[in-house]
Amino acid sequence: MTAVIQAVINGIMMGAMYGLTALGLTLIFGVMKVVNFAHGSLLMVGMFAAYWLIKLTGIHPYLSLLVVPPLLFFFGYYMQNLLIKPVFRAEQQVREPLTVIIVTTGVWYVLDNLALMLFGAEYRTVKTSITGTSFSMGDFIVSIPKLSGFVVSVATAVGLWLFMVKTRTGKALQATSLDREAANLMGIDQYRIYNLAFGIGTAIAGIAGCVIMPFYYVYPSVGVVFDIRAFIIVVLGGLGSIHGAMLGGVIIGLIESVFSQFMPSTWTEAIIYAVFLVILFVKPSGFFGKKQDW
Amino acid sequence: MSRKQLDMTLLVLAVAVCFALPLVITSPTYLQILILLFFYAYLTTAWNLVGGFAGVLPLGHSVFVGIGAYTSTILSNQYGVSPWIGMLAGGVIAAFVGVLIGKPTFRMRGAYFALCTIAFAEGIRVMIENIDSIGPIKINGPRGLLIPLKGDSFWNYQFMHKEPYYYIILTMLLLVVALTWFISRSRMGYYLAAGGEEPEAAQALGINVARYKLISMAMSCFLTALAGTFYAQLMLYFYPKGLLGLDLSFEIAFIALIGGRGTIAGPVIGALALRPLNEFTRIYLGSQLPGLHLVIFGTILILVMLFQPKGLTPPLARLYDKFAARITGEGGAK
Repeated sequence: MTAVIQAVINGIMMGAMYGLTALGLTLIFGVMKVVNFAHGSLLMVGMFAAYWLIKLTGIHPYLSLLVVPPLLFFFGYYMQNLLIKPVFRAEQQVREPLTVIIVTTGVWYVLDNLALMLFGAEYRTVKTSITGTSFSMGDFIVSIPKLSGFVVSVATAVGLWLFMVKTRTGKALQATSLDREAANLMGIDQYRIYNLAFGIGTAIAGIAGCVIMPFYYVYPSVGVVFDIRAFIIVVLGGLGSIHGAMLGGVIIGLIESVFSQFMPSTWTEAIIYAVFLVILFVKPSGFFGKKQDW
Repeated sequence: MSRKQLDMTLLVLAVAVCFALPLVITSPTYLQILILLFFYAYLTTAWNLVGGFAGVLPLGHSVFVGIGAYTSTILSNQYGVSPWIGMLAGGVIAAFVGVLIGKPTFRMRGAYFALCTIAFAEGIRVMIENIDSIGPIKINGPRGLLIPLKGDSFWNYQFMHKEPYYYIILTMLLLVVALTWFISRSRMGYYLAAGGEEPEAAQALGINVARYKLISMAMSCFLTALAGTFYAQLMLYFYPKGLLGLDLSFEIAFIALIGGRGTIAGPVIGALALRPLNEFTRIYLGSQLPGLHLVIFGTILILVMLFQPKGLTPPLARLYDKFAARITGEGGAK
């Protein structure tokens, strides 16, 4: 029993971080109706940025949160402006231009393989002051980097939600999500909103990179692992929903850590896919998805 | 010479050149490159039946290649059934599985459908990697299956030279292209096109969009599985990560999109453009700079989508129109 509760604790902490990796994806989909296949690669860029920053300057790992997310915000902002906006312009009347999916897939290939050329294929870890530290709560052990990751993930989700409902810019994002033509007529510049959504989504991938780096390893195709998981999470939670992404993340984290108590960990992956398909067939819009989005 | 005669002459000429090529190109390495080119063109044409004509974006077609390869190989290795028969069995199973996935997912919008097909294909891959055997049937988990050498034998679908494989895949490609041509001109082709562009409007006209999408999915999956058997017999070895992985599924979709989705020539043009590029950059740049070939690949993908979102076929068709107008002396290109 102790082992199971321990697994639940670990699962919730990891799950919140999975949710964080899916948060940017769900935001971008919610606003633009586009699945960003480059999301995992952007997470990889965030992880490498955090890795080199911590490795070269030796700063406390969480100080990287002040540098990496803003950097990635601009990266995402200008990537959307340069590569994705023209495609949207060309296919204005299409609600979900599949061409955009392909452009983001191209970005994924380019980024992953540029990283491979620059840094090689080896797995890299960075030793920080908090790596491997933990404290005990009764019978249970809580890893400090994972707990910090959990706290940052929840704080980011709450922050994003507050931003969406409380600020004017957030409301403009929501308006564009609901009806881009109507939002345009209200004087909202659709493409500036897309730049913002992409920038924020990418910045969140940067936050995820910073909190995962202290206890995980980075390699050029690390994004694929998180990417597929993030796809499953957003479909589970409902594409476009913030709390859906966090809940979906925790569910995946729990399945992974609890089931791995009873079976080889390669099987838990198969179970995640099976659960995903069952939920999809029973309730395709996910937990909090909007009916019109699927 | 009329336009129709010109089209026919050039087509016959192109096919004749394809059939004559092995007389000139005898190097097994180059033949292998051509075989794989036709293999990808075939797979993409089959994909195009659902991904192009039905207007959805399936990103998990490798699972059907896998079904074909596993079915025929298990049947021939363990039960002595000829791979030719196993190939048909694999096709039927794939068509069945395709309908099974298609039924609940075709109701969904583009993005959901794409993600579901990915999740399904990855789920199957992970399961196969975890299974060593189902009862008496050996699957071999991540190690994959090996086909023992049986020498030159048509019945066993094994040949010591590359030429027979070349002619088999060329014939398969020609047949599947002809099939797409017939479908695109049939009632079903129009229904599919209508359903892909404006599902609500098509439904209002009394077209059972879902049914035609399912039929096209079943056909596409059946044809894809046939290529799986071909691949298994050509390589005599395959493993889940290589055959069922996302890389193959994505490459098929890329070839279609770069060539021109929903057109008959698109998959062939896409394969002609991308495969040699892929092979040569991998051979000449892969050893010094691993990954460079995929950077080039990704860049081309982005550029084509930015400047020719409908793929390479429409501009090439315009060029051909101009050329044909000059030859036949019929009025200017319109």
